[in-house]
Amino acid sequence: MPSQRQLLLIHSHYGSPPGLFQHAVEQGVGTIVRERDLTRAHFDAASGLITTTHIDQLGFPVWSEAVQALLARGDRWFFNGHILRELIPGLRTFVPIVKAKRADLVLTRLHPHPIFEGIEQSSFEENKGVAGFYGRGHNPMPDGAVAINGVSAANFPVDWEWTLPGGGKMFSHAGNDIGGMGSVNKSHDLIAPRLISWTLGDLG
Amino acid sequence: MSILAINPGTYYHIESLEGPRYAKYFDQLARPEELADLDLTQFNVVLVPCRTPADRLAPFADKLRAYLDQGGTIVSTGESDSQHWLPNVKFTPQPTNFWWWLTPGADLGVRVAKPEHSLFTYLTEKDCTYHLHGWFDVPEGAEVLVVNERKLPILYVDQVSTKGRMVVTSLDPFYHHGSHFMPATTRFLDGFLPWVREQLDGKAA
Repeated sequence: MPSQRQLLLIHSHYGSPPGLFQHAVEQGVGTIVRERDLTRAHFDAASGLITTTHIDQLGFPVWSEAVQALLARGDRWFFNGHILRELIPGLRTFVPIVKAKRADLVLTRLHPHPIFEGIEQSSFEENKGVAGFYGRGHNPMPDGAVAINGVSAANFPVDWEWTLPGGGKMFSHAGNDIGGMGSVNKSHDLIAPRLISWTLGDLG
Repeated sequence: MSILAINPGTYYHIESLEGPRYAKYFDQLARPEELADLDLTQFNVVLVPCRTPADRLAPFADKLRAYLDQGGTIVSTGESDSQHWLPNVKFTPQPTNFWWWLTPGADLGVRVAKPEHSLFTYLTEKDCTYHLHGWFDVPEGAEVLVVNERKLPILYVDQVSTKGRMVVTSLDPFYHHGSHFMPATTRFLDGFLPWVREQLDGKAA
């Protein structure tokens, strides 16, 4: 049974929304809202939230309480990008890999996750033979989060999932938006529907 | 006050504008929406970084024009759709080839068009070469400083459309530097921002 619930898809940059957002809308499970047009009602009506690398981290804290309420009622937030502000309590500032070399950009699955099931994490390492698009550092994990994918030999947690006391979950991906439809790396196309399902709470 | 930088608040803006490498080049940071209440005449330069959403600046197009007409300087870097909020900017996007450098001996075609200009005592042609997003049709009398593979302007100075000065480029170095990606963009800012400070603001870098 497809879910009738709606994801809040926050469109932060100027121009067309991401392909992932369009896909969710076509599936009938997402509402795209320009970040500057957000209201509290958008968060209160949402069954999940996806934000992109272009989120305004100076403006978004005004919605911190609304996001915390969303998570407290058991819903989910998929976050892409580098954390530069404590958007909700527990988040800390992105740590880059300085002057990353190819060996620093190796990706490793650290814990099974339904978004990535059956897909080698190494398949995300390169686009057309160039590494570094997936992630070049990590957002430090809040207490209790689980590292899903690591970057570099040190396995810095480029991806993690955090279950909050109310049962809600946050997924942090510390790099370019993942799950982009039509990417030169086809692994992103594979995970796009799963990323939507996970954020709706229908997966994992 | 000397240089005002607009801070739209993405991670790459925060990293580029607040990070220790370049923070000294910005005397004040302001949100786009704060333009409503700012007296721009106190600044020699207003800098708009790459990927500032145009719909957050367009409401202030008249105020920016008035600032230019009293002699102000606006610097606008790439992917900010400055045609929507600066006067007489005509931009044509072009497909971005992120992979050109994978071909041995490949040449993106970026060229310095006016090597005697002061900008090129601060940065090199190589510092301007990473990828292309589009070109501008510039007014007669504008100084074209850098061109693309078809000799079309990608960085120019316009002192003819207003009584002030517009430095406009389709290069987007703040985005890539703030993403810790593409060292050429960091090299570009290493030269470009001291040039803005010394040559546009008129103070020691």
